[in-house]
Amino acid sequence: MEPMKQAIEDRELVSLNGMWVTYHKAANTRQKRRGASGAQVGVLFLNGLYATRAGNGDAVMGWACWLAEHGYPSFRVDLPGFGDSEDDPPADWLGYINSGGYGAIVSTLIEELVRIYKLPGVIVAGHCAGAVSAIYGAATSGQCLGIVLMDPCFNVPRVGLPKYRRQLNLWSRQSRIGGALSGIFDLLKQTRRMLKQEGLPANANLKLLRCLREVVRGGVPVLILRAPSRGSAGLKPRTGEFDYLDYILASGGPRARVLVELVEGSNHSFSNQQGRAAIPEVIKRWLGTTLAYISPACSSVVGDNVILMPSAKESETA
Amino acid sequence: MRSAASTTVLEEHPGYIAVPGAHLYGMLHRAACPLARALLVGPFASERQFAYHVWVRWARYLALRGIEALRYDHRGTGESTGDFESASFEQWRADAEALAGWLSQQQPQLPLLLHGVGLGALLAGKCFSSGAGDALLLWSPPADANQALRAVLRRWAGIEQLYESPENRKTASAYIRELEGGSPIEVHGYSWQSRLWRESFTFKIPDGLQHECPAGDDQHRPVKIDRFGSTSKSLAMPYRRYDECQDLSELYSSTYAWVAGAFRLRVHGADEASN
Repeated sequence: MEPMKQAIEDRELVSLNGMWVTYHKAANTRQKRRGASGAQVGVLFLNGLYATRAGNGDAVMGWACWLAEHGYPSFRVDLPGFGDSEDDPPADWLGYINSGGYGAIVSTLIEELVRIYKLPGVIVAGHCAGAVSAIYGAATSGQCLGIVLMDPCFNVPRVGLPKYRRQLNLWSRQSRIGGALSGIFDLLKQTRRMLKQEGLPANANLKLLRCLREVVRGGVPVLILRAPSRGSAGLKPRTGEFDYLDYILASGGPRARVLVELVEGSNHSFSNQQGRAAIPEVIKRWLGTTLAYISPACSSVVGDNVILMPSAKESETA
Repeated sequence: MRSAASTTVLEEHPGYIAVPGAHLYGMLHRAACPLARALLVGPFASERQFAYHVWVRWARYLALRGIEALRYDHRGTGESTGDFESASFEQWRADAEALAGWLSQQQPQLPLLLHGVGLGALLAGKCFSSGAGDALLLWSPPADANQALRAVLRRWAGIEQLYESPENRKTASAYIRELEGGSPIEVHGYSWQSRLWRESFTFKIPDGLQHECPAGDDQHRPVKIDRFGSTSKSLAMPYRRYDECQDLSELYSSTYAWVAGAFRLRVHGADEASN
């Protein structure tokens, strides 16, 4: 049998700062030497918790292959502590991620990819916890041309939630009666929120939201992809829950370029049939419009499941 | 963040190994002065990501103690190429056997351990029965592949219910009825074909490996079988707590002691190789 190879026809394994990266070569540059000039913008995928760089159900592998086939060099990375990369995860892994622990690592990685592969810039796409790191990374990188946030989480886990509350939560999800009671509880919560005109919830990740606000106000294009969630309709959150998307869109400022899209039929990990098929196509479509600058003809609301905020510059042009 | 283990420079070499019809992704954990080799055969596709952390740390643990370890992704899963939907247990077994051969070729004088977990234990057991390897270690081997699939499906159906509205909920038996009716189902993002389900009933642990025998197998090769019950730490259990890292140092050290004994290696103490 042949020895192990670090590269096969469409992909290559690269070690960067103790992390393993799989590089999917763009179909139109496979015959050229590594780092050939004139390359397209790269797409870097960050894994969520648990998943390796292949993603849940290997979905990210499929997306990277697809985008590379359509001309976008794509990269999948195991951040330190994940998958094949060196280091052990920090003791409070989620806390580390939520406070931006991987931000500087992602930012350095973007710069390295741009330098090595002579890319005009990189789009960072992350799922769940990976989306959190994408935001922190984009905030400090000058080479990040946009971010794709797949079901990002803007709050931190509630600490010290009593056991009975967790069991009650589980019961409400498992039983019909529990579901009905939970619906009433949500309505009460919603009413209280409206009456008191409550702002951000107590468990909102303020550091992350501030960071995202700066990214959005800086004009970095943002694509937010949401999966339908239980008890919610369209892009609106479940009754009683704070509408983070609304908050982000409202606080974006005049240079904001944020697109929010619902991926119908998908699950949270986007690894089911609908999610697998839709994600790369949505990203490609968004890349096409974002990189060529959004058409001034676009209205601010495209449809029920799509919200688009053109930049002020484009609005002026329109 | 950097642990004691990561202060040692890790000699880890990922790559693709060509087998008929696919390139299998493998990670070779090199040892400075290898005394033995180990082929680590991982669990079923849906459990891969949940067992990954445990599997990587185990490979590093072995490599630091002189046992060079190769772990890999099954065809059609993870980083390997190939199509999951058309893969079969028999094909995965052939791949495991090819990798055992590949590993043996590297330094034929070194003894080879086959180590499998979950479905990987079935594959490793089949390879061992056909003559590959010098010792066999099985973690939680199912009696047959169907038992492994059912266990995954039960957990998946339970989790799925939490995210579905009551009218869309399905039990594990409803999924099984679909498979038996010839329709594929989707589990953790993988499309299970009814053909795979049918094959799973006949893909069994070889005779003689159902129970551990102190004298080893019929060729007197050492065999160890560990079964982890529901009360002990599961190695590939999803949704324990998504950000929790298990401390398996006791399992690693006791298992390593058995491997060292099986191959009559000089045992590395905890102070000789950092954990």
